[in-house]
Amino acid sequence: MTGSRFFAVLAFGLCAAAIGYSDPGRAGDTPPVAPPPAAARPRPASTVDAILFGRSSAVEGERLFGQKCAFCHVGPSTGAMMLGRRLGKDKAELPKRTDLAADYVKAVVRNGLVNMPPFTRVELTDAQLDRIAGYLARQARP
Amino acid sequence: MASLLPHGVSPSGFAKALAQFRRVVGDQWVLDSEDDRQTYIDPYALGDGKDHDSSAIIAPASVEEVQAIVRLANAFKVPLWPVSRGKNLGYGGSSPAEKGDVILDLNRLNRILDVNERQASCLIEPGVGFFDLFRHLKESGSHLWMSVPGNSWGSVIGNALDRGIGYTPFGDHCEQLCGLEVVLPDGSLVRTGMGAMEGSATWQSYKYGYGPGWDQMFMQSNFGIVTKAGVWLQPEPEMTAKITLALPNFDDAGWAIDILCDLRRRDVIQHNIVFGSPVRAASTMSQRADWYDGKGALPDSVSETMMKKLGLGWWTTKISLFGHEGTVTAQIDLIRRLFEPKLGRALEFEIWKQGDPPEKSAQGIPTTMGLQCVNWYGGRGGHLSFAPVMPQDGSLALAYARKIKAYYEQVGQDYYASFTIGRRHINNVSLILYNRDEPEAVSRADRLYRHLLAEAAASGFAEYRGHISYMDAVAQTYNFGNGALRRLNDRIKATLDPNNIIAPGRNGIGRHA
Repeated sequence: MTGSRFFAVLAFGLCAAAIGYSDPGRAGDTPPVAPPPAAARPRPASTVDAILFGRSSAVEGERLFGQKCAFCHVGPSTGAMMLGRRLGKDKAELPKRTDLAADYVKAVVRNGLVNMPPFTRVELTDAQLDRIAGYLARQARP
Repeated sequence: MASLLPHGVSPSGFAKALAQFRRVVGDQWVLDSEDDRQTYIDPYALGDGKDHDSSAIIAPASVEEVQAIVRLANAFKVPLWPVSRGKNLGYGGSSPAEKGDVILDLNRLNRILDVNERQASCLIEPGVGFFDLFRHLKESGSHLWMSVPGNSWGSVIGNALDRGIGYTPFGDHCEQLCGLEVVLPDGSLVRTGMGAMEGSATWQSYKYGYGPGWDQMFMQSNFGIVTKAGVWLQPEPEMTAKITLALPNFDDAGWAIDILCDLRRRDVIQHNIVFGSPVRAASTMSQRADWYDGKGALPDSVSETMMKKLGLGWWTTKISLFGHEGTVTAQIDLIRRLFEPKLGRALEFEIWKQGDPPEKSAQGIPTTMGLQCVNWYGGRGGHLSFAPVMPQDGSLALAYARKIKAYYEQVGQDYYASFTIGRRHINNVSLILYNRDEPEAVSRADRLYRHLLAEAAASGFAEYRGHISYMDAVAQTYNFGNGALRRLNDRIKATLDPNNIIAPGRNGIGRHA
């Protein structure tokens, strides 16, 4: 009986929800020196925020990720929960990953992975996938 | 040369047909490689899914292209399997009922043509998904609400045409459709309802038009390809209230279903109410291995531990109320009077009023969280749903639940059931979860489904919707007059679609022997 594992997952869900996405496109550029005071912190990302993710971004890959992927991979969502379970909570949400190579993203999208179904080249064209993969790999560390 | 051919088509005939299809939609939008076809295999297939493989995919972007393809398909006798977005997960995804059909993927017909804020309706194409419409409404500052199904990844129109449901007062999705545009099997175009008039000003306002109403004919059928539909939306109410009720005992299903059904018939509760067993909730939050790693069905003692840790009951149900503040407040009082003495505790509703965050409300917010359930057993998971329509009778539902649970335990499957309470019926959804790469689990799912189908039919209950692998089996249970309805369907099919071009075998209609 490993009910505690469940609570770890639940706790992760709450923690992921508490992070917030006021400007996810720039989140990686300038790490904050000190945590802002509670009142100034962005409000937790909600389900609706995840659905609307990236909509005003200037980066096409981020906008496309927002339309096609974010509802499963941002905030309290299916893909984030499954990845958090499998790889640890720091790897749960794709926009924050620093270990994603563009080719890996493309392979997963076209072939599916465990419970993620593959995307067809009609639903997501190769050109669109290039943009999304480029966006997700932007923080990749060599 | 193609590695798989459509039914009755020669290799050279198919090659010619594909060349013609490419001229209509462009090379990029006709896919026939092994890799591309693999992406259209049902991700929840029972096994590798090759028994429902397609021979190619065509993705038109306009009604005119759909018409041209249908005419060519007639000329070359190539059967087409239309999908709106291909996310009918649990029912076959994009895969055709008959192996070798060409999938007609309507994803690119994805325009939201109109949202009428005042009339609370919209006109959309089949490639528009629930997330797309939701985003559009929020970005445009609309005050219209949607109803969404448990898995909202798919198409608004596709879900409605397969009679999918949601959990708000607009949750009977097929009933929200108002006016269709349909490409008929000969490639001609028809508009139903008021849309039958050129320049009609009321296509999305009145469903029936003049003379027979044909809209139902295009639901769960293969008599045409819907290329536009009007959909009614819900004007934002003044207030909503919602509550999750956990009923501690298995037997509580009897009395609770009777109360809920009465409230539903009286329209106090205006939405489809789901009433689910512990695994239903637990499988969206955890995996089986978190609780139990033994073989066979989950023991009751483990279910009870799960219930305690997750705050579930043997049955867990969610009630939502929508309307003006005075109405909602009065309905809360009524529900408290009915349930509090039985449960021995006060009920706390979560209240939303205009201006509060949307998540607090009872509106439909698209989600894929329900899909987590396929991870219950681990591996590449899938689910198969058996959902017979039953009358609204608590003691009958309870007795049925006992019988089905016992059978799940006998075959070693974790019991997962819900009762969806509609306006005059109950839909007993028995979900069968499996790891699709485990042959034993797949064969158990198949045995269980066929048993449930026969068992329900013997009691006078039939399935409301069917997976591609069981469409014919389900259609056979509709056997009044030695299958009179099937014969009618087949006669209409033969008249409208003499070449059997559109989705042969869908819902058991026009199947090849």
